[in-house]
Amino acid sequence: MGRFLFRRATSSLSVLALSVVLVFMSIRILPGDPVLAKLGAATEVTPAALKALREEAGLNRPLLVQLFSWITHALHGDLGVSYFSQFKVTQLVTERIPVTLELTFFIILIAVIFSLILAPLSALRPGSIVDRVIGYFTSFGLSVPGFVIGIIFILIFSLKLQWLPSRGFTPISESVFENLKLMILPSITGGLTATPYLVRYLRASMLEIKQSPFVRTAEGKGLSNIRILFRHILPNSLVPTLTMLGLIVGYTLSGVVVIEYMFGLPGIGSLAIESSFKRDYSVIQGVALTIISFFIFTTFVFDVLCGIVDPRLQLAKGSQGEP
Amino acid sequence: MNRRRRFSFSGFLILLILGICVAAPLLSPYDPYAIGVADPFSGPSAKNWMGADDLGRDLLSRILYGGRITILIAMAATAIALLIGTLWGLTAGVRRGWIDEFLMRTADAVMAIPQILFGLVAISALGASVISLPIVVGILLSPTTARMARSAVVTELASDYVVAAVASGTKRSRLIISEIMPNIAPQLLVQLSINAAAAVMLEATLSFIGLGIQPPNASWGTLMLQGYAKIWNTYWFVFFPAMAVTITILAFNSYGERIRISMDSRRSSV
Repeated sequence: MGRFLFRRATSSLSVLALSVVLVFMSIRILPGDPVLAKLGAATEVTPAALKALREEAGLNRPLLVQLFSWITHALHGDLGVSYFSQFKVTQLVTERIPVTLELTFFIILIAVIFSLILAPLSALRPGSIVDRVIGYFTSFGLSVPGFVIGIIFILIFSLKLQWLPSRGFTPISESVFENLKLMILPSITGGLTATPYLVRYLRASMLEIKQSPFVRTAEGKGLSNIRILFRHILPNSLVPTLTMLGLIVGYTLSGVVVIEYMFGLPGIGSLAIESSFKRDYSVIQGVALTIISFFIFTTFVFDVLCGIVDPRLQLAKGSQGEP
Repeated sequence: MNRRRRFSFSGFLILLILGICVAAPLLSPYDPYAIGVADPFSGPSAKNWMGADDLGRDLLSRILYGGRITILIAMAATAIALLIGTLWGLTAGVRRGWIDEFLMRTADAVMAIPQILFGLVAISALGASVISLPIVVGILLSPTTARMARSAVVTELASDYVVAAVASGTKRSRLIISEIMPNIAPQLLVQLSINAAAAVMLEATLSFIGLGIQPPNASWGTLMLQGYAKIWNTYWFVFFPAMAVTITILAFNSYGERIRISMDSRRSSV
């Protein structure tokens, strides 16, 4: 177990380190200057003043020095200061992240509930009409962009029926009811985007388990199909699905950017969009670091969970970690 | 196994979409930039099959022309992803050792960076154009292609015909080009189809955030953004471009799926 944990942790950390360096470098290599962007249309800017501003922001130092200093500060929990608002990046991110986490939680909850209903239904009789209909829905779902689902929901529930608001946000501390009401459409939109992946994976792993000898034994004992499906096949196919769920949590965290934007939710996704239009390096870096860390951390946790639930997996060279 | 069923609906659909995009100038009933050819926000009618946008431009013509931009960007991005990804995966699979380890860790690292976030930063810096969008989307799609190419190459390298070729003294470059490449081509074709779907999706998503081709030109994603902004005036304006995007992605995804299934069944029947 110790060796397994160590191996997974080092591989996760190396991926984290590499991606952080990639983000930092790509932001610097791309054209665009935050100092110029900040000054905007201001006239009478002397080159000397520009230089002073750059120096103040530490942008004139060599790239590697900037990278090193950023990483050292980040390790101390200091992600720098926004070039625009002068707020601390950590403050901006921690203010916005509860919204993103709440949304992600609901999205995953909805996706898990839907898949736990649809996948067993589908795996009960492969090739049956029910299975084929669910199959078509998942194929279709994989091809519809998330925001198109969102648009359809807004058309139906906000425009036609006028049941739910299409934009806005109320903190949960102000009104739980209002908060949940505004979360319904974004959560279902995201949930339905994530569901097809889970259904496919869970169905496939259920069909695989169905071939095992213990299922034949259960059949031989005369157990009903439903009982075999829910008591024997489903629990066993959840383990491989856990890994997939970890990945989906990660993808959802990064996919909420668009959902937050279209429903006007003030999470870190909208923060990323706002700051990238302003070329606010430090905020983008902070947001990227946060999302990437969450992504890698969740996949790590789910991998370890799988290893605990099914110790056989510890022998494999780490499910996604291997090259 | 169903090899006799040569006709593929998704393949036909892809050809149809490509054909429509190429023939857009012949098929468009109106000039896509002509303002006031219909009442603004009018719904579908005999004169304007898909209605009109906020400036009274014919939506059908705008979608036909928008398809050219969307498909062009998707095709270029797919080509870039295939080129970078295949080289990346091929190098890793053939060289193995620490080069392999490093290249695949880099692929993991790129995949851990949220696509939309990277797209956001890159496009807002480079500006949205028919050059920058394919490059950014292509780079984003290359690590998955690299992973696939690597695993295909590694499988091929272990097969008997490669061992035989090596034993008979075939040069490595020749082995890769004339033995391995043709054998991993079907897998690459599947990836190509999936990438095309993903490219259309990414372009639409980026455009929807406001990072797409700028007016008066419009890809399907840009049209969707404009339609979404006017959703309270008319829902047709957002509906038709959304349909175009969805059908195209669906066609590419199912085509990829179809080749994969026929490949699996061929393999299992050998």
